[in-house]
Amino acid sequence: MQTTDLRDDHSTRTRDHRVTGVRDDRITEIVCDRLEIEPGEIAETDRFVEEHGADSLALIGVLAALEKEFRVTIDQNEMPRMAHLAGVRQVLAETAGW
Amino acid sequence: MNITAWSALSPYGHTAADFTTGVRQRRATAAPVPGAHGQLGCLVPLFEPRTALGRKGTRHMNRVTALAVTAVGAVLDHLDHTEGGGQRGLDTALVLGTTTGSVQSMTDFTRSSLTGERPYDVEPGVIPNSVMNCAAAQCAIRHRIQGPNTTLAAGRTAALLGLLYARRLLRAGRARSVLCGGAEEYTTARAWLEARSRAATPPPPAGAPRLPGEGPPPSAAAFALLGEGAAVLRLTPADMTTAAPPLATVLAVETRHTPEGTDPAATVRATVTEALARSGVAADDVWAATGTGLDPAETRALDALFSRQVCGQLPTLGLLLGDTGAASAALQLAAVVASAGQAPGGHAVITSVDGQGVAAAAVLRMGEGV
Amino acid sequence: MTSSSEGTPPAGSRPRRPDTSHPPSPLPSRPPRRPGGGPSDSRPSYPPGPPPVNSPASVPGGSPRALRRRPPRFSAGSSPTFPAGRPEPRRVVVTGLGALSSIGTGTADFTAGLRAGRSGVSPITAFDTAGFAHANGCQVPDFDPHRLLRRIDPAEYGRAAQFSAAAARMAVVDAGLSPGDLRRVRCQISVGTTDGESYDLDRITETHLHRGPSAVTAQAARRIPAARLGIAVARELGLADVEILTIGTACSAGNYSIGNGLDAIRQGDADFALCGGADAFCRKTFAAFYRLGTIAPDCCRPFDTRRQGILTGEGAGLLLLESLDSALARGARIYAEVLGYGLNCDAHHPVAPEEESVARCLQLALDDAGVKHEEVDLISAHGTGTRANDVTESRAVRRVYGDSPPRTISLKSMLGHTMGAASALGAIACSLAITHGFIPPTINHRTTDPECAVDCVPNQAVDADLRIVQNNGLAFGGNNAAVVLGRYEGREL
Repeated sequence: MQTTDLRDDHSTRTRDHRVTGVRDDRITEIVCDRLEIEPGEIAETDRFVEEHGADSLALIGVLAALEKEFRVTIDQNEMPRMAHLAGVRQVLAETAGW
Repeated sequence: MNITAWSALSPYGHTAADFTTGVRQRRATAAPVPGAHGQLGCLVPLFEPRTALGRKGTRHMNRVTALAVTAVGAVLDHLDHTEGGGQRGLDTALVLGTTTGSVQSMTDFTRSSLTGERPYDVEPGVIPNSVMNCAAAQCAIRHRIQGPNTTLAAGRTAALLGLLYARRLLRAGRARSVLCGGAEEYTTARAWLEARSRAATPPPPAGAPRLPGEGPPPSAAAFALLGEGAAVLRLTPADMTTAAPPLATVLAVETRHTPEGTDPAATVRATVTEALARSGVAADDVWAATGTGLDPAETRALDALFSRQVCGQLPTLGLLLGDTGAASAALQLAAVVASAGQAPGGHAVITSVDGQGVAAAAVLRMGEGV
Repeated sequence: MTSSSEGTPPAGSRPRRPDTSHPPSPLPSRPPRRPGGGPSDSRPSYPPGPPPVNSPASVPGGSPRALRRRPPRFSAGSSPTFPAGRPEPRRVVVTGLGALSSIGTGTADFTAGLRAGRSGVSPITAFDTAGFAHANGCQVPDFDPHRLLRRIDPAEYGRAAQFSAAAARMAVVDAGLSPGDLRRVRCQISVGTTDGESYDLDRITETHLHRGPSAVTAQAARRIPAARLGIAVARELGLADVEILTIGTACSAGNYSIGNGLDAIRQGDADFALCGGADAFCRKTFAAFYRLGTIAPDCCRPFDTRRQGILTGEGAGLLLLESLDSALARGARIYAEVLGYGLNCDAHHPVAPEEESVARCLQLALDDAGVKHEEVDLISAHGTGTRANDVTESRAVRRVYGDSPPRTISLKSMLGHTMGAASALGAIACSLAITHGFIPPTINHRTTDPECAVDCVPNQAVDADLRIVQNNGLAFGGNNAAVVLGRYEGREL
C-alpha cells in the first residue's frame, strides 16, 4: 500500500475552513476549477460570464461545489450576486455566518 | 439516397483507414479491459475524451458523447476537405443511434444522489450526460449542426432504422443532407447491466403462460463480448450532385417485429425478402450479406437465403468487435462502404436484430467509382 | 382472453388485407409501399386512389391549409419531391387519443381535467424524498398496468413502457379500431422519451447499493433498454408489420415522434401511426432539476412574475394518425388534422434555450403547415415555468407572431413537466381543444410577468373557436420541435 501524505488530503483541508486565508484560497481554487482556468488568471472582480466564458451550468457548478465544501445551502436567488469572486465570498460569508 | 462520406471509430482504431485495414484483415480485437480484473472487451484503443477533443468543454464529457463527437467531426472534416464549407448549419440533420444513452452516467448520477450528504449533492456539470440525447446535442453544439437532431433509441438496429428516418427527412425536405450513425461506449456499468440481464432466471412455473421473446434471450447471446465504437454515414438525396461519386446507394430499408409465438428467423427472412423485392435485386445478384453475428436466428436466416460464399464476403463484425450495441449497424454499413472497391456496382445486404424481436435489413448498391 | 380479432398472422407472411367478409370497420387496403431508395427514391409512388374527398372546392369552409401547401424547403433540384400529377402528399388526421396523466386518464377524463383546470400536484411517493426541502410532483395516481394492458406481462417492462403500451391501447380503442385492424396493415410506432426506463434504472442502482449486485434480478435488468418503450406498444397490440422507433430527443421527443408519424403517413410508409411520448417519474431527473434550482416548491406557475420553476411529472400521450382518406373511408371521428411540424437544434448550449433558434423552429412548423402566423388561434407553449424558459419562449413567440401573439397557455401548470410525454400530451390537449371549442387554462396564475407578456388564459378555461393551434416542445440540448394542428372542417363532428 502506498502511504498518503495527509497534507494533500482533501478532507484535511476542509477542516481548516475556520482560517480565513485557507478559506479564501479554497474558494478561489473551486471557482477556477469550475471555470477551467488557473488561480493566477482571475482577479477579485472579474466577471465569470463576461470575462471567463462561464455558462449557467458552470455557475451552478460553482454554487454546488461551494455548498458541498462548506456544508451550507446557498439561496439560488443569490446567484446574480455571485458574478465574481468578491461576490461569491460575500454571499458565502453571509450564508455561513462567518 | 446515397452514402457520400463516412467515418468510424472502432476497436481497430480512431480513423476510417484503421477500420478499413482491420476489416480487410478480419482481425479480432478482444483484449483485457484496463482495470477490469481480466474481463475481456473490444474497446477503441487509447481513446479518452480529453485527448481526442482537447481540454475545453470535455471536463464532464462522457465516453459515448466523445465517441460520437469525434466520429461526426471526422466526417465533417473530410467534407470540408472534399466539398468545401457549408456542411454544417441549418440544412444538415443528425440522426444518432443509442441503446440507453450512457448507463454509466445515469447510474453514477443516481448513486451520487443516494450516497451524498444531501440527495441533491450531485454534480451539475454531468446533468446533460444523464439524458439520452446528450451525445447528439453535443455533436450539434461542437460542430454547429442546426437541422433536425434526432436520437434514436434502437440498440443494434439503430443505424438501419436511422436510414429509414433519414430518408423521410430528405424526402420531406427537412434537411439537405443527413449525418446518420450510432455510438456506444464500453463502461463497467453497461457491462454489468448486460451481464445481469443474461443471468439465469428461474424457469416460470409449469403451465404458466409465457410470451415468446419475453423470457431470457437465447443462450448464445451470453457469449457475446461487449465492444464499443461510433460510425457516421453522410446521406444525400439520390439526385443531389456531390463532389465525389457516391460510395454506395441505399436501395431499400425494411424492418419488422417478431410476433408472439413465431420464429425470429422467419422475421429476418421476411425482412430481407421484402427489402430485396423493393430494391428490385434478386437474391442471386447479392454480392455480400452480413448480419450482426450475435443472434443465432439471424445467422440461420441469412444462411437459408444466401450461399456460404455470399455470407462470407465480408467479415461478421460482431465476432471480431463484440457487441458494439447502437454502433453495430453503423459499423456494418461502414464495412460495406469500405469494401466497395472489391465489387464495384455489387449489391450488399445488411441485417440487424436487437435481441428484442426487431429485425431490420438494408440493400445497398456499391459505388462504381470507388 | 384475447378475442378472435386478435389473431396473429402466420410467421413471415404479409399481413392479411382487410377481409371484407367480416371487417370491424371499412379499412384501407394495405397500399403498396413506395419502392426503396435508389433511382426510385426520387419517384415515390403514392397509393393510387381518388383525390382527397374534401377538396376546398367541394366542402364549404374547407381546410385553410389545402389552399396553399408549401413545397418542401429543399425541393428545388435537390431533394425528391412529390410525384407529378399529385400535387399534395396525403393529408393526415388524428383519430385516436390515449392520454395517461396526473389529471386524468382516458380521453373523457383528460378532457374534463383540462376544462376544469385540474392540478396534478401531490407529494412525491415514487422515491424517498428525505433531504429535499420540498418535493411535490405530478404523478399518475393509482396506475394499474394489469387493468390497462391485455397482452404483455407488466413485470417484463419498466414503468415508462407500461405507460406507452397502455396509452397506445387507449388510442387504438379511442379511434374505434381493434388491434386486429392494425395487424392487417403497415403501422409505424414512434414513442418519444427523455428518461426511458430511468425509474427502473434508479431502482436497480438503489438495490445494487443497498443489497449488492446479485440482488438485482435479470428481469429488472432486461427492462432497461429504451427501445422497449416502442416495442411494448407493438407487443401489446401484436403487430408484426411495423416500424418501431423510440425517439430519445429529451423533452421535445413527443413532438419529434408526432412529426415522424406525420411524415410516415404523408409519404405512404404506413397506414396507421401511433406516436407520442412517455416518461415515468424518477429520482435522477428530480435531483437534477432540484440541483439546477428549477424545482418549484409548491406548484408550477408559467409566465407568472413569481414563478419558481417546474414540477416534474409523468405520463404518456399516444396519438393515432391516419390519412384523411382512410379516416373518411371508415367513418372515423376526426379530432384534428396534423398540418405540419418543424425541427431544429440550437447547437448552442446543453440546457439553455436560444431565442432566435426557437423562433426559427416555430416558423419552420408554420411553413411546413402552409399557415400564416396570423391564422393561428392558440399556442400551447413549452412553458416550463422556469425563469429562463418562459422569457426566452415568449420572446421567440413574439419574433414570429409580432406584438399580439395568440393566447399562449402552458399545460405544465396542470400536468407538471412530463418530459418526453409533454409535447405529446400537449398535442392531445390541442386536439381536444379544437374538437370541443375551449382553451385549457394556465392554472396557479396570479400576475403575468411583463417580460413574458402573453395572455395565458389564467386559471379558468374559456370557450373559443379554434381553427389552428401550434404546440411547442423545447429540450435540453437545444432540440426544438413544434407541431401545427388544425380543425378538420370537411364534415360535422
